[in-house]
Amino acid sequence: MKVGFEIHIQLNTTEKLFCSCSPQASDTGFFTFYRRLRASPSELGEVDPAAAFEMEKGQKITYVAGNKTSCLVEADEEPPHEPNPEAIKSAIKIANIFGSVIVDEIHFMRKIVVDGSNPSGFQRTAIVGLGGSFTHRGKSVGLTTICLEEDAARLEKKEKEGPVYSLDRQGVPLLEITTEPLELSPGDAESLARNIGRTLKLTGLFARGLGTIRQDVNLSMEGHGVVEVKGVQKLEQIKKVMEFEEKRQGWLIEVAKRLRERGITEEEIDSLSPVDVTDELLRSSSGKVRDLVNRGRAFGVRAPGFESLIGSEPIPDARLGLDLADLCRLFGIGGIIHSDEIGKYGLESDIISSLRSKLGLKESDGFLIAIAGEDQFARCFPYLKERLKAALSGPIAETRAATAKGTTRFMRPRPGASRMYPETDVPTIMISSKMKEEYRLSIKSWDEMVNDYAKRYSLPRQLAEQVLDSDFAGWFDEVLQKHKVQPSVVASLVAQVLSSLENQQAINLGEFERLIDAWEKGLVSKEAVIDIARQMAEKGMGFDQAVGSLNVKPLSVEELRSIIKEKLEELKGEGFSEGRLYGALMGRVMEVARGRIDGKVVNEEVKKAIEEAKRSQS
Amino acid sequence: MEGLNLKPGDRVKIEVNGNIISGTVMPRSAYEPPDAITLKLSNGYNIGVSLKGVKVLEVEEGGLNIPIEEGEGAEEIGNGPRVLILGTGGTIASRIDYRTGAVRPALSAKRLVEMIPELPNHATISVKTLMNELSENMRPAYWKQMALTVANAFMSGYEAVIIAHGTDTMHYTSAALSFALDGLPGPVVLVGSQRSSDRPSSDAYSNLLGAVLFSTKAKLSGVYVAMHGSTSDDVIAIHSGVRVRKLHTSRRDAFRSVNSRPVAHVNVNSLEVKAEATGEEKEGKLSVYPEFDDSAFLLKFYPGIRDSFIDAIVKEGVKAMILEGTGLGHVGRYVFERLNRFIKMGGFVGMTSQCIWGSVNMNVYETGRDLLSLGIVPLGDMLSEVALVKAMWGLGNGFDLHEIMPKNLRGELRERREVEA
Ligand SMILES: [Zn+2]
Repeated sequence: MKVGFEIHIQLNTTEKLFCSCSPQASDTGFFTFYRRLRASPSELGEVDPAAAFEMEKGQKITYVAGNKTSCLVEADEEPPHEPNPEAIKSAIKIANIFGSVIVDEIHFMRKIVVDGSNPSGFQRTAIVGLGGSFTHRGKSVGLTTICLEEDAARLEKKEKEGPVYSLDRQGVPLLEITTEPLELSPGDAESLARNIGRTLKLTGLFARGLGTIRQDVNLSMEGHGVVEVKGVQKLEQIKKVMEFEEKRQGWLIEVAKRLRERGITEEEIDSLSPVDVTDELLRSSSGKVRDLVNRGRAFGVRAPGFESLIGSEPIPDARLGLDLADLCRLFGIGGIIHSDEIGKYGLESDIISSLRSKLGLKESDGFLIAIAGEDQFARCFPYLKERLKAALSGPIAETRAATAKGTTRFMRPRPGASRMYPETDVPTIMISSKMKEEYRLSIKSWDEMVNDYAKRYSLPRQLAEQVLDSDFAGWFDEVLQKHKVQPSVVASLVAQVLSSLENQQAINLGEFERLIDAWEKGLVSKEAVIDIARQMAEKGMGFDQAVGSLNVKPLSVEELRSIIKEKLEELKGEGFSEGRLYGALMGRVMEVARGRIDGKVVNEEVKKAIEEAKRSQS
Repeated sequence: MEGLNLKPGDRVKIEVNGNIISGTVMPRSAYEPPDAITLKLSNGYNIGVSLKGVKVLEVEEGGLNIPIEEGEGAEEIGNGPRVLILGTGGTIASRIDYRTGAVRPALSAKRLVEMIPELPNHATISVKTLMNELSENMRPAYWKQMALTVANAFMSGYEAVIIAHGTDTMHYTSAALSFALDGLPGPVVLVGSQRSSDRPSSDAYSNLLGAVLFSTKAKLSGVYVAMHGSTSDDVIAIHSGVRVRKLHTSRRDAFRSVNSRPVAHVNVNSLEVKAEATGEEKEGKLSVYPEFDDSAFLLKFYPGIRDSFIDAIVKEGVKAMILEGTGLGHVGRYVFERLNRFIKMGGFVGMTSQCIWGSVNMNVYETGRDLLSLGIVPLGDMLSEVALVKAMWGLGNGFDLHEIMPKNLRGELRERREVEA
């Protein structure tokens, strides 16, 4: 399987790409507005399939705008200003690092995106560099393009009538690096993405923090369309996604083969039309079916040759039925029944046979029934038919979303070149040969950077690398600047707790800083830091709640002494030999005192207590 | 580009510093340097490549297939009242111009109807492209052409006329049509867009839909402007053609009714039309006064204006001068003499205010009373642009300005201004 990456990384400019808002600012929404987007033809008069698809969904899009984080430009109420010169300079430097051909003129384009993630209905993007290469494990990996583009708005939630976006991220400058598709093992692919990310971090031109680096993964089987997987949050996910897609796409090739064997043609699928089967289903006494049908009309579609091919799956969640249901869901259609799972619904056999005859089913045919409004289904049906038709040719070019489990779900058709047209509000930027020469960087090697980091904070090399690889290096530096604490503990907190979390976006770093602060003030012992952090991360607790839930209230030396005394009495009763007494006592005391007072103090006090006990005996 | 003889549409393979680049040659703007070419790559991106040191390896000729929009569509589409949509140009009907790289009015009004499939559910639409002018290129001669076309449309049975127009001078045109068309039997609605119709976020669609819904449901005659009521694609505000002004350079809700509330609000999602005030319902026969004389001048007073400038204007043959005075309607004493001279020569001078909101009142301060005694005519709460257009119209059709200017003809001059407007 061929894999290519689109790596997006946020440039650390002081202003956004097309306005003077600060990418670092934060505030809460104070103004809400609504928009509806329509797909319009490109300069060549074509409507992009992905754009048309999004528009057919007919959604009301809500934007929440903060006064500090956005202005009229983000709201699409003022033309873009000239592109940020810092961002252009950085992009040229990066293109030079990879040996790309830097264009003589940057032409910003509008890439149509009609899902609402850009209030204008397009993302502004431009090629700065073409080609170039990256050396990975001794092999040269080609780059296709280096682009400078604006980030999209942040999806806050999806409501019934449409998505809600916050404008704070909108317009933040991103650099996009695209690699040539390459035959790679999942492990190799993961390390390639990691190494490109590391090289980019070495430049110091990028913002650090959560979500500042993201990658889309393009996966394709020989002779088939490219599947673009979006939302791969963590590098570790790449391997899982690739393994999943390999099986899913392989299965689709098998489906295509079987459909051909069954003599199905594109013409046959083209000629399909839906049949209203509401009355048939309403005759059923199955509560499940009646509940569904009460939500709208039931539209049945014959799926020629699809018998057993809709519901089968090579691995969980890789079945065609799920893609079809996801497609319908994007049009707001929640209820889908297909022939391979009809058994689940408790439909009477006479109803099934009358359904079969009404839909005109032949042997080896399957069917789909969608519960929807008439208009709703009319909008969805052409796409449903296209999807069935596409099954004849195996995996098709489409955009899918990665899930936390490492599977992928259908998002929309893959946009084509016709979604690009010139951004006429932004003038052409000339790049002189002098600029190409001057905007260069000399960067250290990754090893040097890790070693320097390890030295600076007296960290073991591996731990230093884990911090640098994480999205928390910026936070780590900041915390150690503010608090006089042992760096290795904070590094362990980053490496063992924060980085391993699935949903890093939900982390409230302010709470973790409170933990460090409490430790610095001696309110929490060093030993307890990681335990508390883990509790916070795993249970989604704040600092106070986590401390309360664990027995980690700090002990005074007096309290410790009385615990030691109590435990010593216990042990005396159990008759321990003098030689084993120290170990046993330490064990008993630590059960209670672990994390609540410095281990060294416990050790001293235990020794003292044993000495004293000996003295009083003799 | 000439040197290498490459034409827009050619598919080329070139070599730059040992790297091979393939793409289609695109037209370039007159403002981009001629020693480079714009290439569209297969991924849809455009890049600019300097021709210095470029080796052309392959050229395959091929024309660029940019569709030309056809304007005329004689057919009527839809159900309901017959509505004529007149295309005159502007952002509402623009697309990219490769010559300048800017947006150019080229989309036909017919195309707009194709883009708004719900339109034909509410009206029987026909489309006519009258002209293709950017708003800033509009002139009184075009107002006349529009007035005559609108009058003709009503006489041939249309129940409403919608005019797609550039926004910058839309309020001048709306004022001109208001005066030119007396006793209109139905609504004339001007509609524009602040975001060109080639972008998914264009306000063109909802504004046009709002205009159609208003003109078929509200049953008000007169001239109106339909534009966004807020930044959302939600409520379209319908403004009286003589009470409206563009008050923002770029926002969707740039148009505001001044000194009054909008006549109606149309919700393009619920398709509801809510009339907030009654329009200028006129009974009787349609009369057309389509002439405009451009010997009227709009002068904005500012501290230090040189009185010789006024001489120069007068020397150019100006017959009517609309002043945009300060506050309640004042100009500095140092221009009194020149104004006096102009009035004595038979010139008309009317006073409006540069405050935009509120009415002039020349009785409050001494300066005002002095100006009145010079023969300057106070024009109440009439917008200065409306006053200018009215003066051009009065001159063009042979009316006595002293009689018509201080009189309310189409709702342009009102005695009452509500607290909440
Ligand atoms: Zn901004």
